[in-house]
Amino acid sequence: MATIQTPNGFNLDTSGQRVVVDPVTRIEGHMRCEVNIDADNMIRNAVSTGTMWRGLEVILKGRDPRDAWAFTQRICGVCTGTHALTSVRAVEDALGIDIPENANSIRNIMQLSLQIHDHLVHFYHLHALDWVNPVNALKADPKATSELQQKVSPHHPNSSPGYFRDIQNRLKKFVESGQLGPFKNGYWTNPAYLLPPEADLMAVTHYLEALDFQKEIMTTRTIFGGKDIHPNWLVGGVPCAINLDGELAAGAPLNMERLNYVKSIIDRSLEFVRNVYLPDIFAIGSFYKSWLYGGGLSGQSVLAYGDIPDKANDYSAANLLMPRGAIINGNLKEVHEVDLRDPEQIQEFVPHSWYSYPDEKKGLHPWDGITEPNYALGPNAKGTSTNIIELDESAKYSWIKAPRWRGHAMEVGPLARYVVGYAQGHEYFTEQINRTLTTLNVPVDALFSTLGRTAARALEAEWAAEMQVYFFDKLMANLKAGDSATANTEKFDPSTWPAEVKGVGFTEAPRGALGHWIRIKDGKIDNYQCVVPTTWNGSPRDNEGNIGAFEASLMNTKVEVAEEPVEILRTLHSFDPCLACSTH
Amino acid sequence: MTETFYDVMRRQGITRRSFLKFCSLTAAALGLGPSFAPKIAEAMETKPRIPVLWLHGLECTCCSESFIRSAHPLAKDVILSMISLDYDDTIMAAAGHQAEAIIEETIAKYDGNYILACEGNPPLNQEGMSCIIAGKPYLEQLKKAAEHCKAIISWGSCASWGCVQAARPNPTQATPIHKVPGLAPKPIIKVPGCPPIAEVMTAVITYILTFERFPELDRQGRPKMFYSQRIHDKCYRRPHFDAGQFVESFDDEGARKGYCLYKVGCKGPTTYNACSTVRWNGGLSFPIQSGHPCFGCSEDGFWDKGSFYDRLTDIHGFGIEANADKIGGTAAVVVGGAAAVHAAASAVKRARHKGGDSHKGGDN
Amino acid sequence: MSIETTPSHKEEAVYVYEAPVRLWHWINALAILVLGITGYLIGSPPPAIHGEASAHFLFGWIRFLHFGAGYILAVGILLRIYWAFVGNKHSRQIFLPPVWRGSFWSELVHEVKWYAMIAREPKKYAGHNPLATLAMHVMFVWVIIFMIFTGFALYGEGAGMGSWQYTLFSSWIIPLFGQSQDVHTWHHLGLWAIVCFVIIHVYAAVREDIMSRQSIISSMFSGWRTFRDDKPMDDPH
Ligand code: HEM
Ligand code: HEM
Ligand code: NFV
Ligand code: SF4
Ligand code: SF4
Ligand code: F3S
Ligand SMILES: [Mg+2]
Repeated sequence: MATIQTPNGFNLDTSGQRVVVDPVTRIEGHMRCEVNIDADNMIRNAVSTGTMWRGLEVILKGRDPRDAWAFTQRICGVCTGTHALTSVRAVEDALGIDIPENANSIRNIMQLSLQIHDHLVHFYHLHALDWVNPVNALKADPKATSELQQKVSPHHPNSSPGYFRDIQNRLKKFVESGQLGPFKNGYWTNPAYLLPPEADLMAVTHYLEALDFQKEIMTTRTIFGGKDIHPNWLVGGVPCAINLDGELAAGAPLNMERLNYVKSIIDRSLEFVRNVYLPDIFAIGSFYKSWLYGGGLSGQSVLAYGDIPDKANDYSAANLLMPRGAIINGNLKEVHEVDLRDPEQIQEFVPHSWYSYPDEKKGLHPWDGITEPNYALGPNAKGTSTNIIELDESAKYSWIKAPRWRGHAMEVGPLARYVVGYAQGHEYFTEQINRTLTTLNVPVDALFSTLGRTAARALEAEWAAEMQVYFFDKLMANLKAGDSATANTEKFDPSTWPAEVKGVGFTEAPRGALGHWIRIKDGKIDNYQCVVPTTWNGSPRDNEGNIGAFEASLMNTKVEVAEEPVEILRTLHSFDPCLACSTH
Repeated sequence: MTETFYDVMRRQGITRRSFLKFCSLTAAALGLGPSFAPKIAEAMETKPRIPVLWLHGLECTCCSESFIRSAHPLAKDVILSMISLDYDDTIMAAAGHQAEAIIEETIAKYDGNYILACEGNPPLNQEGMSCIIAGKPYLEQLKKAAEHCKAIISWGSCASWGCVQAARPNPTQATPIHKVPGLAPKPIIKVPGCPPIAEVMTAVITYILTFERFPELDRQGRPKMFYSQRIHDKCYRRPHFDAGQFVESFDDEGARKGYCLYKVGCKGPTTYNACSTVRWNGGLSFPIQSGHPCFGCSEDGFWDKGSFYDRLTDIHGFGIEANADKIGGTAAVVVGGAAAVHAAASAVKRARHKGGDSHKGGDN
Repeated sequence: MSIETTPSHKEEAVYVYEAPVRLWHWINALAILVLGITGYLIGSPPPAIHGEASAHFLFGWIRFLHFGAGYILAVGILLRIYWAFVGNKHSRQIFLPPVWRGSFWSELVHEVKWYAMIAREPKKYAGHNPLATLAMHVMFVWVIIFMIFTGFALYGEGAGMGSWQYTLFSSWIIPLFGQSQDVHTWHHLGLWAIVCFVIIHVYAAVREDIMSRQSIISSMFSGWRTFRDDKPMDDPH
């Protein structure tokens, strides 16, 4: 079969062996991936499929807009709060509600803590096993591991040989039990694993340390939102009223004791990221730095909406501490303005998605978006509609829609944000990137790779940990100045609303640019559309045949053992795919 | 549950020879060499960890996320020392057919002896293909795993009740585990909540492991130990409820003093969960403590009861939507109006027949 | 109490409502009044009051009154049912409308016509007329039983698992409705069903007192039914 060239510059060749990975594991939700590999085991065609759909956009119709945050939060329990925040912003935008400064600082701290938590858990618990071999760690010398630890992170207290020996013994006992639990059937004998046993043992140890510590990071959200997973939010501000020294302050959601708790968590999070997460990235990265596959769209088309408003209620790019902008055709010299209201910029297509539109040649701006399920396989699919052997990517093949920015398939996420920030001269990001390139001794091009994505995530966790400190200080300064307001309830009552309004809310979710578009009619939701980071990254082909970021990133990667495609997992995982998000 | 896994395998007719072969294959698969095989064999004969298959259907993974936040016991200790989490697509190393093979292996080896933990639920619409695992409907994977398990734990409101994807109009016909058509009749322990509290999840597991029995369940299949009381029964704001001290709107004086959230929609009085007792994230807080009303996330169908901020529930019917006071008040006005009209008509009638009717009025 | 005090009737009075029925009727009416008002307030509480929580118990009192009146209502109904067994034939009427009798339905039609102002003259009853019997059976007896069951199901939630209220009521009523919130909603709707009944009931009592051929309101005080003509009685029994 001849090769097809996609408009976004990839040569697809379906002639080789078709390799199917379903389920793709260590991600959120359900996903399938099919690739064709040539005689040299190079991937020449990639098909990624979102394999779940729940219909949140359908369910939201007719509901109270003030409740939408809770519904959309359940789109995902991993990036949980980011949907809630996006939702309250959309409603506030539609109704013209301004939130108090304190609410802005608190929301930012919650959003930043999500970034840190999500990135950390992703790296250690979803991604690490693509690079780290726990079984190999059994062969490590604890003393050498201790030395390695002290070298890569002199300030981390858990570094004695005894400490590593204990962990190794526990691991040994676990493996000897013959019940390997989550490590069962891994590709542990695959030559793609390159770490020496000491690095493996250090990383496995941090797998466990991070598992313990991650539950602390998000307790700031427990204080502000009452629980984590799925903390509580509020249209008009935050629910946690502040009472510092008044009557009954002890019973108030926020008082001095609660604020001190938040502060201690913020400090410890920064420490952990600096002493564990970043050093591990550099240590592991140094062994894999020649594995530079997986760049995909990252050097070509990236998109960020921006987030973390410094002052409350100003969502212009200048006030956002996370960068906003679009880069296309690999031209880093030009960063385009992004306008979420412009019907020409963001559009979703469905010719290859399991939905129907009245006219599938056209895309729809989310304010006019339609979500109408239509499951069917293409004529060339192998198997049956309930037993898919191979998909037919020339027809509909995914529950994910295909969002495009001015017709371009875009990559979103930490790497996209760093690329946009780098192109705009974002000082902090640039310094971090340069530090990373020097430490690993790699050229700037190395950024556009699977590893670049993984590194950008860690750098972002560091930035977020610092920003938490900034917003905590800001909150305290504002309280000191006498402002303790946390919610604006002037327009909370639906009877005060205009008959018909529309709004858009956005955030930079851990996995990238997230937008919610809402239309409100007579106090109820008339239409609600979410375009989610993994909708962008995991998108199937569009009407023009452009492939999405996942598919692009897999192209031209060498797979060592076709039966054990750890390379596919590596690159897909580097996006931290969230399928519940992508399809919602 | 007191049997070792070796016992189980023997009972299922696996010979000692093939058992030992299994052990050396395991060692080889790990690249560990033959010296590990006897140790594995010994462990299998003496120290069993109960196998758990943790399946994900339509869900948001927040139940897993909650689980890993358990403070006591730590999630790490549960996974390393208490259970054998053989399948959980969110964290397992294996992928694709190697992952699916584990289900077969577990069934073969531990038929009737593993726990099936369900997060999320299967859809029945779209041929079941709005949740696909390995090219097939999730429903198939679920049914197969259920067929051979010892018992099912329904994690969270998704598995227990249906949760958000089953909210009106439930476009995928997402169906809670106990209502899945054709599912093998196995004991089901529901641990509802969106998500459930981490320490409640791990407590249910450790209870089963420690006491070697399933916890006592209420009529709806929830462990009594955590679901026999409402949030309201142990809410620290309860004195304000009894006093009539309510938050009237967010961030008002009452909100800053920690008054009761009843009037801004608190569903604590109708919600069975342990939030006000166990609290969240190591006992740190719970929704009400953060100033937000409970919206009943562990209750059946809590999404479809109207706004979370309304005290009175929305009732859907005949294409309209209103609460009990609106419906009842309207009915009362209609009835009152009808009575008034009827009274007027009666008065007119009486006036017409004035004097001519010997049956009316006692004195004419 | 009414115009019926003038001795113009042409027939002997009949003793219809025995003392326990009358006493029950007025206690029941009072309990329902209290339940209705406090119940409404439980659904939509009065504005918050400030000060030490321990110094106030306003909402506690509202609920206490509701539960107290609820118990009185429930015990009253039980005693009333007991009286249906031992009392006179009229005491059984509202519990057992003779729906199996053709005459019941034809007279019911007549009563409807009377209310629709088609029939020129009403029939004459010592006890309740068929329409009143049916209305009381459906709109009172069953609705009150419904309210008692749902009310105690809600009460049992507070009393806790293990309480007799929980065991007898909550344990099966709550799953039956789905969840507690639904029981609240239906219990709340019941309030309005009762309000509708009371409106109709009181209106009909006053109207019949003026327009029918027998004493009505005073009967519920004195127990005696007096009549304004000497035509034969239409009661089937
Ligand atoms: C005529 C009879 C009754 C009426 C009209 C009535 C009315 C009401 C109303 C309107 C509510 C508020 C429901 C809501 O919006 O949540 C309520 C709550 C309640 N009622 Fe009744 N009720 C009646 C009988 C009873 C009885 C017999 C009991 C049994 C003790 C009872 C116990 C309760 C309880 C426990 C509550 C919930 C209180 C709370 O949540 O704090 N009710 N009632
Ligand atoms: C909550 C309010 C009330 C309720 C639930 C109620 C209920 C009832 C019931 C169940 C009966 C049938 C008695 C029996 O046969 O056992 C009855 C009879 C009666 N009630 Fe009430 N009642 C209420 C208020 C009143 C009021 C305010 C009046 C007076 C204006 C009244 C006047 C009567 C009369 C006159 C009868 C006898 C009717 C007849 O002879 O057919 N009721 N009521
Ligand atoms: N994709 C995605 Fe999310 C994120 N980050 C949401 O917006 O993960 Ni569940
Ligand atoms: S119950 Fe709630 S938290 Fe758990 S998976 Fe379902 S939606 Fe997520
Ligand atoms: S805040 Fe909610 S749970 Fe607490 S006392 Fe008030 S109504 Fe009950
Ligand atoms: S909303 Fe859910 S988390 Fe607890 S307090 Fe209510 S049950
Ligand atoms: Mg969408």
